[in-house]
Amino acid sequence: MSTGPAGVRPSRLRHIRLPAAGIRFRLAVLHSILLFGVAALAVGAIYQNVSRVLEDEPMSRHSAFTELVDTPILGSSSTTLDNAGGGLQVFEEAVNRRALRQLRIYSVVALAVLFFASLAIGWYVAGLVVHPIGRITAVARRIQGTDLSRRISLGGPPDEFRELADTFDDMLDRLDAAFEMQRHFIQEASHELRNPLAVLRTNLDVVMHDPRSEPEDFRAAGEVALRATSRMSSLVDDLLLYAHHERPDVHRNPIDLASVVAETVADFAAAAESTGVELRAEVAERLPVIGDPVALRRGLANLLSNSIRVSDPESSVLVTAGHDDEKVWISVRDEGPGIDPDDIDHVFQRFWRGDLPSAREHGRSGLGLAIVRQIAEGHGGQATVRSTVGVGSTFTIWLPRYVDR
Amino acid sequence: MRILVVDDEIDLVEALARGLRREGYAVDTATDGDEALEKASFTPYDLVCLDLTMPGIDGLEVCKRLRANPVEGVVPRILMLTARDTVGDRISGLDAGADDYLVKPFSFDELGARIRSLLRRDAGRSGAVLEVGGLHLDTARHHAVCDGATLDLTPKEFALLRYFMSRPGEVVSQEELLDHVWDEHADPFTQTVRVTVGTLRRKLGTVGGDDAIETVIGRGYRLGARGGAG
Repeated sequence: MSTGPAGVRPSRLRHIRLPAAGIRFRLAVLHSILLFGVAALAVGAIYQNVSRVLEDEPMSRHSAFTELVDTPILGSSSTTLDNAGGGLQVFEEAVNRRALRQLRIYSVVALAVLFFASLAIGWYVAGLVVHPIGRITAVARRIQGTDLSRRISLGGPPDEFRELADTFDDMLDRLDAAFEMQRHFIQEASHELRNPLAVLRTNLDVVMHDPRSEPEDFRAAGEVALRATSRMSSLVDDLLLYAHHERPDVHRNPIDLASVVAETVADFAAAAESTGVELRAEVAERLPVIGDPVALRRGLANLLSNSIRVSDPESSVLVTAGHDDEKVWISVRDEGPGIDPDDIDHVFQRFWRGDLPSAREHGRSGLGLAIVRQIAEGHGGQATVRSTVGVGSTFTIWLPRYVDR
Repeated sequence: MRILVVDDEIDLVEALARGLRREGYAVDTATDGDEALEKASFTPYDLVCLDLTMPGIDGLEVCKRLRANPVEGVVPRILMLTARDTVGDRISGLDAGADDYLVKPFSFDELGARIRSLLRRDAGRSGAVLEVGGLHLDTARHHAVCDGATLDLTPKEFALLRYFMSRPGEVVSQEELLDHVWDEHADPFTQTVRVTVGTLRRKLGTVGGDDAIETVIGRGYRLGARGGAG
């Protein structure tokens, strides 16, 4: 036993116990005082009534008593009764006083017993009530940092405490899932960054430590280093974008998606032309949505660069945009190689690159389509893909249509 | 010692191959699991540096298959290279039969030390220094000494001497030398083995070890158990 923990424990105990004991004590005392007050009023009222009745209507003046006295059995001495009238009254008053005193004593004793009994019962009942709170507090206290595996699991009847504990557990579930997702994301991201780092480090290590390295070797290592760093910077850019769009932006205004589409398509005209891809757009007149134009532009830009990349020269990429009663959509159709049916469920996943080693070499982060989905879902819509191998793919962003009422 | 380097990052594979060749290893490369298994199916590699995450057949699967189908009865030592470093990843890698595990990015010196350590396990030695008779070979520092005189060897000669010294007294065939000291780029129809053995003998001869490597006619070469002249 060291002094350290022993020195810490009392203060922690005080911290843990006091709030619970405080409410338990207050409840017990309140319960006891209220019960005592009500009982004291009742007993006082009874005493008051009894004493008044006994004083106002002594039994000797009651008709039943007169009748009893006038019966033939006692009839022989009716005169003595009249004489005895004064004495009887004194006797009667004495009896009444004594009865009232007894009543007073019993009342006080009963009230005293009741006070302590109610204090004990109140303490017990308050304990029952406060116990689940103590348990919730203890679990909440034990949850350290990001270890959210503990649950209260209160059980018992579906009462208010159960509801509170279940709500708390639900919140922990959500937090746990969010933390887990974040942990996973960080793991994936660091894994993705480690590959180009390994390329960079090994190349430099090997060239720098070889006394026979020629200037061409340094030049070759430098070129590899450039490729690796440009890959890393585009990965970091996309990671930041992804992290940014993970939080739905609350500052959104009604915008016309048609102009966003037109501007983005215009931005890509040069890129399409340089690769010999024909880029066409068929956009409806007005496409009102509530959204962040910068984010939506980024989403469409990712789709366009993806489609142009997979397209052969001479083929075309068609952008269409339109709406029905409820939804607005933007579609990008290419005549590329298409996506294998086994892979189609993965295309919107983070860091999925169609398993092509060349994809990494070309500096693709594997986040482009994941960002598209994130933006669409952040706007209350969704991103979908249809594809036929050898024919091409169509990516679509669906958004809720904004109707100005 | 012949090594196969497998990784889907071509830039990494090339740098590793270059660095390991400089250390005197014979190095082949592969950029995916299929290519790795194909090469390992006809070459008895002493060691395979294997990336865990690759498109197609991944490192774990390659590792299992290498263990299951040894070439000429030799299971290569497997050094797993990976960017994943959770405990679960390490366990699954080691369970699949990897002998060691190195997390990217790693220092090339550390890789070299681990490769030497894994190859020593086969030779049943515990240090980085080989000694046979008067010959003294420090594989970590690339330093060869015969009877107190330092030898100036090229990486290939060094690798050849190391191979002989790991099998002192045994007859080593030309084919075995081609498999373990030369890589896939060596042309088996040239006299490369004979020429290199010749230059190594000559260098050993300058310090009095000219009878260290004897020719066993029709079978190959043998490093005399006495090693140098000493």
